[in-house]
Amino acid sequence: MPAYNEEHSIGGVVRNIKALGEGYHAIVINDNSNDQTSLIAQQEGAIVIDLPCNLGIGGAVQTGFRYALANEYDVCVQVDGDGQHPTEKVPYLSKTLNEEKCDLVIGSRFVVKTDYDISCMRRIGIQIISLFLWLSTGVSIKDPTSGFRATNRKAMGLFAKDYPQDYPEPQSLIFAHKYRFKVKEVSIEMKNRMHGTSSITSLKAGYYMIKVLLAMFIDLFKKP
Amino acid sequence: MQIFIGLISLAFFVLTFELIRKRILREEYAILWLFTSLFIAILSLWPRMVPLISKITGFYYVTALLLIVTVFLIAMLMHFSTVISRIKDANKELTQRYGLLELRVREMEQNMPS
Repeated sequence: MPAYNEEHSIGGVVRNIKALGEGYHAIVINDNSNDQTSLIAQQEGAIVIDLPCNLGIGGAVQTGFRYALANEYDVCVQVDGDGQHPTEKVPYLSKTLNEEKCDLVIGSRFVVKTDYDISCMRRIGIQIISLFLWLSTGVSIKDPTSGFRATNRKAMGLFAKDYPQDYPEPQSLIFAHKYRFKVKEVSIEMKNRMHGTSSITSLKAGYYMIKVLLAMFIDLFKKP
Repeated sequence: MQIFIGLISLAFFVLTFELIRKRILREEYAILWLFTSLFIAILSLWPRMVPLISKITGFYYVTALLLIVTVFLIAMLMHFSTVISRIKDANKELTQRYGLLELRVREMEQNMPS
């Protein structure tokens, strides 16, 4: 669970993960927040990794993969610290991963219509990214920007070594294609953000999209 | 004009030297700047070098000289970009390891019988 200044929501998310029962550990990567995120997460019983510099979401998530790999977790599920991902679906994601023998399972907002409120610009942006992904790799993922995803040990190992830092969610799908991961997308109903603002505002969506596409395009040619 | 260029090269040289002395600039990057200032110094002490260079290279116009300078500057900027990228990668690696190690230390301390 990457978290940057999520003191209002992190406690609830950690509690929900812990409520899933034994075998589920809440691991929070505190990306050098300047609020109480780390303290609150620790009080709720999460394993907290405090980063001394702000790395951004990619670096934080990669730290999680490294931890999960080193501590021999079978499945690693990435969940946002802001409470928009339904934590009760974590077992569903990991079950799909195991049963369908996938390397990466993405919890998606758009596979079937859910009542998730999202701005029009963002929706178009995501569709264009999705189209680009399909054209360049032949993989059809409707919600490539979703940060609610499960990985197995194979994916963890590769992502621990090499994980995109700028726009990790869509870029990592290009990586996944290059490493020949088996990827599956499942529909998940998302809540609206309870606290904080998304890293992508509606106005900046267009600019964001162009940068993402460029980064993904370059990833296609990157040496492993 | 000659004195002006000479002063520039001198100031450049002193600045580079001072930065190394104060350990703000590392020697490996300083060498480049020292050579640059040396080149400007030669230019000011021996102005006839410019027509000589023109003769050798065939560049007779100021614009051509400007082009050379621009290419030099762009190459420098590219070099610095690669250096920054490398430092950022190293920083990421260190930050991640630091975070993971700190957690291990904290857990070990908690498990230790006091």
